[in-house]
Amino acid sequence: MSNRDRTTVVILGAGKGGMAVLELLTLLPGVEIAGIADQDASAPALQYASQLGIPITQDLVSLISLSGINLIVNVTGDSHLDLLIAVHKQPETEVLGGSASKVLWDFVQHASQIQSQLFQTEKLAGMGTFASGIAHDINNPLYILLAFAENVLEETDVPTIHEQARSIIEAGKRIQGICQKITQYARSSKADYIAAVEVNEKIEEALNIARYATTLQDLSIVRRFGEKVEVLVNPGELFQVLVNLMTNAIHAMERRGTLTLSTCYENGVGKISIADTGSGIPIENLEKIFDPFFTTKPPGEGTGLGLYNVKAIIKKYRGELKVESEVGKGTTFIIELPRSLM
Amino acid sequence: MSESKTAGMFSGRESEGLVLVVDDEPDVRKVVRMTLEKAGYDVVEAEDGARGIEEIQKGENSILLNLIITDIRMPNMNGIDVINYYKKEWPSVPIIVLTGFPDLEMATTMLQHGISDYLVKPVESEKLRASVAKALEQREVRGF
Repeated sequence: MSNRDRTTVVILGAGKGGMAVLELLTLLPGVEIAGIADQDASAPALQYASQLGIPITQDLVSLISLSGINLIVNVTGDSHLDLLIAVHKQPETEVLGGSASKVLWDFVQHASQIQSQLFQTEKLAGMGTFASGIAHDINNPLYILLAFAENVLEETDVPTIHEQARSIIEAGKRIQGICQKITQYARSSKADYIAAVEVNEKIEEALNIARYATTLQDLSIVRRFGEKVEVLVNPGELFQVLVNLMTNAIHAMERRGTLTLSTCYENGVGKISIADTGSGIPIENLEKIFDPFFTTKPPGEGTGLGLYNVKAIIKKYRGELKVESEVGKGTTFIIELPRSLM
Repeated sequence: MSESKTAGMFSGRESEGLVLVVDDEPDVRKVVRMTLEKAGYDVVEAEDGARGIEEIQKGENSILLNLIITDIRMPNMNGIDVINYYKKEWPSVPIIVLTGFPDLEMATTMLQHGISDYLVKPVESEKLRASVAKALEQREVRGF
């Protein structure tokens, strides 16, 4: 991309408006954010920007007067700033402020509302599949627990009572373990938090959930993990991405198959690959799979939002999502995420 | 663990019938055995479909077998394959599916495949016994 294609932007204001603009602009490939300023050091977008490795400051003038800036986006809502900007900005720098930034702010809010509705739709759809898998895993120990408890009420043989009580405790502990896994899933979805995430661990957690999505029994798992592979993301969102891709992979293998999970570092980038031996994606569909609402599942079964959301998440953390597929042989999804966002 | 004894060894009392219980969880098999033995049935166990088939072929089991209760999500041969096999080899033996999957669609498909009942764990002891009794009654009505 040549310099002319790139737009270097600074954002003034790190409140709700700044946050929304920041989130939008980080998604755009041709935009470089040179900095964000707010007089309030605790403004939310300042913290988020610093996690993303974007320079932050409380000194608005220093940011306004930077050279090489194409555009200043003023979302402070403070009309007094207009004069300050006019005085200090470089001649070539353009300004988006006043009612123009109000329209942008409205647009961004609208877009983020739609985006979060899409995420919600997909999450709800996924819940149905997981719920039936989780129900299966809970119903087995629950049956053991209830049936033995019922028997213990009328059983007179003490050793038998003891033996069945032990089975009851064991079944209860299994249910407890399942509940812990589910809460882990729920907890990790907290937004606005970025950390260095150990990928191999996340893959194991996601696999625990993804296997609820299937009745497939002859599923072999091959792990080719690199040592201590870390990437900078929101842990919950990475988890969501992994569960989604693994669930797809498992669904693509109708009766039996091998799921190969690999991780490594390559040129400072954390690489995760999820390969199945399933039906593969026809070449004419390969380009469409990331489009919203594209699905090959029967009506009512898929939202067509899974991969769209996966790609949006990866993009948000300046990563790449690639796919290789061969009909009849299988599909491999490759996620590449930076180790750090600097 | 599969039980190796055959129905011929259950002597000394009048048996209500011989039931094969197929489930990969030992405690589930134990619970079903306990529930059915209280009602006078004899039980043989198997941990998966393939072992279930072995079990039926042992000794007099294949002659004496009255009913199969099976899970559908197990290692090795899964329940659906097993049901098709049982249906082909022992068309007169009724099958009850006992599973943790509360899945209406699967239940409908299975019932269309000719199983006698689709029970979801946890199932009450009375309900399990009633289902078994009903499956065996229908079998008698059909004249097997």
